[in-house]
Amino acid sequence: MKEYIGIKEIWQVDNKTLGITWTDDKECKYDVAMLRKKCPCAACIDEMTGKPLLDPNTVPSDVKPTTIDSVGRYGMAIKFSDGHSTGIYSYDLMRRLIENT
Amino acid sequence: MGIIARLTGKDKTQSSKKILELTPELIKEALTGIIDPDLHENIVSLGFVRDIVIKDSNVSLSINLTTPACPVKEHFKKQAEEALAKIPGIGDIQITMTAVSPTAPKYENGEVSSLGRVKNILAVASGKGGVGKSTTSIHLAKALALSGAKVGLMDADVYGPSIPHATGVGTPTEMNGKLLIPPSKDGIKMVSISMFASADGAQILRGPMAGNVVKQFLTQVDWGELDYLIIDYPPGTGDIQLTISQTAPITAGVIVTTPQEMALIDVRKAISMFNTMKVPVLGIIENMSYFICDGCDKKHYLFNHGGGHKIANEFGLPFLGEIPLEPIIGNESEKQRTVFEKNSSSAISKAIQDISDNAVRALSVLQNKKISGLESFHLTWK
Repeated sequence: MKEYIGIKEIWQVDNKTLGITWTDDKECKYDVAMLRKKCPCAACIDEMTGKPLLDPNTVPSDVKPTTIDSVGRYGMAIKFSDGHSTGIYSYDLMRRLIENT
Repeated sequence: MGIIARLTGKDKTQSSKKILELTPELIKEALTGIIDPDLHENIVSLGFVRDIVIKDSNVSLSINLTTPACPVKEHFKKQAEEALAKIPGIGDIQITMTAVSPTAPKYENGEVSSLGRVKNILAVASGKGGVGKSTTSIHLAKALALSGAKVGLMDADVYGPSIPHATGVGTPTEMNGKLLIPPSKDGIKMVSISMFASADGAQILRGPMAGNVVKQFLTQVDWGELDYLIIDYPPGTGDIQLTISQTAPITAGVIVTTPQEMALIDVRKAISMFNTMKVPVLGIIENMSYFICDGCDKKHYLFNHGGGHKIANEFGLPFLGEIPLEPIIGNESEKQRTVFEKNSSSAISKAIQDISDNAVRALSVLQNKKISGLESFHLTWK
């Protein structure tokens, strides 16, 4: 069975960076524009094929979150300054995103 | 002391231990090497070790787990016996395995007295109909009961009740004050609307009436002391589901799906419903995963392959396991039995027991704040 990981602490580091300390004490910094480009919602990634539908060049470089809210106990919903708000960033995805950076 | 060291061939520290008096501290220290595989902490600091009694050189103690259905129960016992046996000069060791689940919070309006001694309420939901929620609920209840837990099963499918037919449970005949005493089958207490109406007559109820029925199941039934109350949800995300979440403090949801894409669309809705109600989801069970015919051992994936894994990955939820499509499930259910009565060591029984174990483990992780982390948060970007 998959290990369950939660968030111990979440905070705004600076204008462009989100900080998260996970329950395994791993501390991560996320570039918020990268998060917008990696949005997992059905409008940004094709549900059936998994192919990206969002052209990263269309994302404004100064994009930043307006609010971040927990979703259940496994993810977070981020509202962005460009009006996009449909992506649910599961903790699993968030962990995969750091491994890619 | 030098003599003892020479006689036993052990070094000085070892021999000095020999004259150490047996104390509860010493016993506890010996047990700190036993780590809970899910909570990643030793059983002493988790507070599991209790009632240490030392009489001369004999030691008895109990290990108090969070659930009687703990899948690593026997493993802990064996480890503890081995660890204690290493203490020089120790006599008889007696270890009792006990369990107390954390008590479920009572609801604010105090309406849920009938659930007052129910420790965990698990909602089995799918979104889509026909994926085998009731069969899965019944088997999950049975697997938990077989692991030693006290289990109740509530059929919330008001329009298509199937639990009494599939289990052969009787009808309620007694009251305890204002509360109805639920009938039970093989120790599992059950309630369903079909106990109160003829099985063939359709339940033609307006939404509010249907809501009232499930509300009564949660407030006017004497569930007594239960480790797990399993609620078999009706398909969809409507009135009844909302009423249940608002009436009872649901500990967690379990999602049942079949592998095909059509089911997954509805599953996303069911997960989203639990999110909205702030009910954590324990994980995904995939039913009818594959079929093994009687001619060969090949797994035939009749309804596509890997849908349950896909949805688990998409939402970052644990995948609890897959149940194969086997005629035995349907046949046994017609005989009002589960696959466990037929053969408790068959592949399908084992698959279901594994799912039950995984659910119990996911639940214990969820209930440990240190691991599950923040329950909810809101961050406004400045």
